[in-house]
Amino acid sequence: MWHADNMSEPASYERRVFKNTSVYHYMKIYLILDSEDKMLNAAHFKQMIIAALRDLYGEIGAAFPFDVLKFEEDTLTAVLRVYNSGLVKLWSALTLLGSYHSEPCAVRVAQVSPFLLALSGNSRELELD
Amino acid sequence: MAVFIDLNISYTADKKRLQNIIETAAHLGYSTVAINHVVDFQQKKQEIGKPQCISDLFEQFPIVQGKSRPIKVLNRLTVVVSEASHFRTTNEVKLYDIVAVFPKTEKLFHAACMTYDVDIICIAVTEKQPFFFKRPPVNGAIERGVFFEISYVAAIKDSTMRRYTISNAHSLMETSKGKNVIVSSGAEKPLELRGPYDIANLGLLFGLSEGDAKAAVSTNCRAALLHGETRKTALGIIHTVKKPQPTAKRQEEEEEEGPAVKRAKTEAM
Repeated sequence: MWHADNMSEPASYERRVFKNTSVYHYMKIYLILDSEDKMLNAAHFKQMIIAALRDLYGEIGAAFPFDVLKFEEDTLTAVLRVYNSGLVKLWSALTLLGSYHSEPCAVRVAQVSPFLLALSGNSRELELD
Repeated sequence: MAVFIDLNISYTADKKRLQNIIETAAHLGYSTVAINHVVDFQQKKQEIGKPQCISDLFEQFPIVQGKSRPIKVLNRLTVVVSEASHFRTTNEVKLYDIVAVFPKTEKLFHAACMTYDVDIICIAVTEKQPFFFKRPPVNGAIERGVFFEISYVAAIKDSTMRRYTISNAHSLMETSKGKNVIVSSGAEKPLELRGPYDIANLGLLFGLSEGDAKAAVSTNCRAALLHGETRKTALGIIHTVKKPQPTAKRQEEEEEEGPAVKRAKTEAM
């Protein structure tokens, strides 16, 4: 439910309050592989995550939906969307993912947010003085 | 906001690799890391040596992500105790910032919790817990401010080890109720490190509550560090910070330009 509230007259902005919590969480992750010559496409990437989930939680525990919204093959960066109930499972499976095709790898979780828009920038990459 | 600390980076003689790991840790957002020197007296020719000088490691320490401060590196000693004679507080031990023990038997676990002058007690993650965590020693350790450590690197490497790590962590949580637990890496390679928020999430798998899981990578580690510092002193530690006194000229400038609320509070002193 969106609630707009115009403050005083001259205000040129509009405040929007998102009252209901989002049903999804979005994660921006990137994969680091030890050897750089491996090619990976979105299908392989999702397969890898499903395998990691099944490894940790088994057939039943891994049976929850998540989507790869975007995958960049050159930087191995991806944006995932998952229901709130599956977030802890998905995140921990990504954390404990340690190898891909018996090559060491790591998944770095850059950002997690209930709003997709929040992934457009990262405050931690800002230059501080 | 609490800073994140990883108290277990495995020591390797390979300086390049050690630098690599510390750089990765800084990039992931850890403000402090401890290099872990393990001594196991069961293997031959083991002795507690002097810790490596930290300042030799880097000319310029890597900057922590989002903090604009360089990372702090400490030395840690872990003694694997399988006999009571293995752990003694010698002068070499005092050179380390943090001291940990890894008790192999229930009797030694009891002694480590109740009497040993240590900061951290390691919990087995590569084998089935050989004994049951009884409440009196665990409570005694919590009262003394000693922490229990679970390292997660074994869980990343191998699925059997992962089972042991999770089950041992759960049996510890049953007794300690999530108090005085720290989660650390034990990483030997940069790819085995994980970000602090990842570990806070992983803590949920180990049976910690959300708050305890975050404390396990931040405030509890800091408490363990301070506990380590008290070993070098009589009782406790107090930090004092000298506030920079603004010079007379700057003061005038501030009075003219700066708004009243933003002026430094030092001049009233």
